[in-house]
Amino acid sequence: MGKLWLGNVSDIADGQAKGFDPNHSGSDTFFIVRQGNELFAYVDICPHYNDTSLPWKRHHYLDSASDYIVCAAHGALFEINNGDCVQGPCKGQKLSKIPLEVSSQQEIWISLTTIKEFNL
Amino acid sequence: MNIIGPDKLIFGVDDVAACKQFALDYGLVTKDEQNYVSLDGTGIEILHKDDASLPAPLPSGSMLRKTIYGVADQATVEAIAAELSKDREVKTLADGSIEALDDLGFVLGFQVTIRQTLDLPAETINAPGAAPQRGVNLTGVSKDFTAKPRSLSHVVYFVPDIEKAEAFYSERLGFVTTDRFTGTGPFMRPAGTLDHHTLFFLKTPPFMQGVEHFTFHMSGPTEVSQAGYALVEKGYQSFWGPGRHIFGSNWFWYFKSPFGCNIEYDADMDLHDDSWEAREALPGADNSQVFLLQSREKWAPGGPPGKP
Ligand code: FES
Ligand SMILES: [Fe+2]
Repeated sequence: MGKLWLGNVSDIADGQAKGFDPNHSGSDTFFIVRQGNELFAYVDICPHYNDTSLPWKRHHYLDSASDYIVCAAHGALFEINNGDCVQGPCKGQKLSKIPLEVSSQQEIWISLTTIKEFNL
Repeated sequence: MNIIGPDKLIFGVDDVAACKQFALDYGLVTKDEQNYVSLDGTGIEILHKDDASLPAPLPSGSMLRKTIYGVADQATVEAIAAELSKDREVKTLADGSIEALDDLGFVLGFQVTIRQTLDLPAETINAPGAAPQRGVNLTGVSKDFTAKPRSLSHVVYFVPDIEKAEAFYSERLGFVTTDRFTGTGPFMRPAGTLDHHTLFFLKTPPFMQGVEHFTFHMSGPTEVSQAGYALVEKGYQSFWGPGRHIFGSNWFWYFKSPFGCNIEYDADMDLHDDSWEAREALPGADNSQVFLLQSREKWAPGGPPGKP
């Protein structure tokens, strides 16, 4: 099965996030957060209503200290490393985590199966 | 109690710069370093969440730290102080306003209103059979546009106990319920306004208590749409809208924001007096809007220039 190249790790600054729209739907369907050299990817849907996206502006997924992922609709906070909601309307629920591949050249890839499976 | 409506919402936010930029892009005007106001002087105050002057946050961490109501006169401020001090602490602040908690823990302030009387026309329309609202050779729209929010309209709280909330605002502060969603919450207006609602509640579990959204009145549906579209063009992300609600008949467009809640534009809300009998409907999509439009990038038939 094929895979899609999303860019290089260096495209996302440490402590920043980036949204992706692989099917050109007009809004991002998932996002990647970089912490050090680790990447965490989640579906861009807040578990509170289960059908709305998180950021108030494109790529604005984190709080100012880059400690949490934030849903801008009602301020829910999520842990970056596991997607658990720790404060806000969906406390106890979690973001849906997406597998990525990072090559030895620091290229970020997502498999087409993942895109299909998560409807990205 | 002659309460007119919300004068100001005070926020303690995480990203002060982003919130101030949002306030400006939304169309509010800088009054001083932290106050951003609409045309009638009502508005929001933006402070960092650790600012020592702020009242304590709700346990949920909501960024809304205080709702200040404008009332008709000093006698009303005193009447509210007398009423609320029967069973809770009422502080008098240096500016003469009073501060107390409501029965759910929201911090409220009451002051002689700073709301100025506006003398402005509403958006005009022409329709067959009706006298023109806009005269001959006057055009209705222009691409040259700046959003001008007119007045702080309403705030919506997430509350665990809607019966308790409704009882407090009606029995202690004289709000009237204009309509309600069964089991979800009442729309309420204070005695000093005819607006369908300045306050609405949504029932939620206790850990969610906070603010769902707030909004300012615009001049009409065109301004709601044009202001919302301008936000989209600046990169802000729509949450819901544009559309038109059923209860209140107000046009709406909601945006996600760095304030930890949605921020709306609204226009053309119904007015009610005491002769109105509250309606009740089941909550849900069908009863929330008469229609919902969705924004897409500007487009025109015919494709790029030069294509047939
Ligand atoms: S939709 Fe995300 S917190 Fe409500
Ligand atoms: Fe609203």
